[in-house]
Amino acid sequence: MNSTETTGDDAELLERILGGATDDFAELVRRHQSRVFAILHRYERDAQKVEDLAQETFLKAWRALGQFDGRAPFEHWLARIAARVALDHLRKEKRRQNEIGLPELGDDALDWLRSDDEKNELDVRSAAELLELAMRELSPADRMVITMQELEGRSVKEIAVAMGASGVAVRVRAMRARSKLRQALEKLANEKL
Amino acid sequence: MNDRKLKQLFTLAQKQAAPAPPADFATDVLRALRGEPPARAPQTLSGFDQLNSWFPRLALASSTFIVLCVALDYGLTAAGVPSLSDGVSQLSAQWLLTPTGL
Repeated sequence: MNSTETTGDDAELLERILGGATDDFAELVRRHQSRVFAILHRYERDAQKVEDLAQETFLKAWRALGQFDGRAPFEHWLARIAARVALDHLRKEKRRQNEIGLPELGDDALDWLRSDDEKNELDVRSAAELLELAMRELSPADRMVITMQELEGRSVKEIAVAMGASGVAVRVRAMRARSKLRQALEKLANEKL
Repeated sequence: MNDRKLKQLFTLAQKQAAPAPPADFATDVLRALRGEPPARAPQTLSGFDQLNSWFPRLALASSTFIVLCVALDYGLTAAGVPSLSDGVSQLSAQWLLTPTGL
């Protein structure tokens, strides 16, 4: 099964779980695990850490299951928990990164970054590495807005709900974050010369 | 860094596949949450429960207050200022134990 199960199916399952059928939670995890992994992978590239964060997400969901009112699809509620787990993770990582410094960037990514030639191509892996490195210059909240908007294709309204902010605040943050990201990429290109 | 390149970077990064969950991931989650009941809707605490949860802090605050009062009394006595207990005795003698008093 995948994350496109209907809310009705989830509702039945949730009812059974809250009624004491703990084992059925595994079925709920199986339904939504791919989506949760996909969300968390936008913020953390290490597969083992993604797994740990996914587990944390499902444990938090388990603890708060009684608060799910069923007004929105379960997967949206779960996605918000995953986003919060990711944000907490980014905050912790930000503190840690300030202590250990930045990793090296590959030559392909640097060449692409400096080149104005449209024919110069970049592979998916290098692009993800480059973006990850530049994103580290952003605050966790800025990074979250850019990731949700540009990589997950979420609307301003969805981001606002996930972050507990107003639509205007999200728009302003997105604009500033994009500008900071551009500066970070330029800095990366110049620093390595 | 122009808009075209930034957009290209986002488009490429979007294509990166997320790691697949391990086959036994759901079982691991279940193992981790064993013995931990799912939280029900937020419960309202009774007055007694609230008082119970506050008890250690109230007890500590009260003890600290008593110790401070005793220390203050000793301090004032040492400085020659009539102590609190003297003051209270004086007050009782003047107002409470006189024929016109209560």
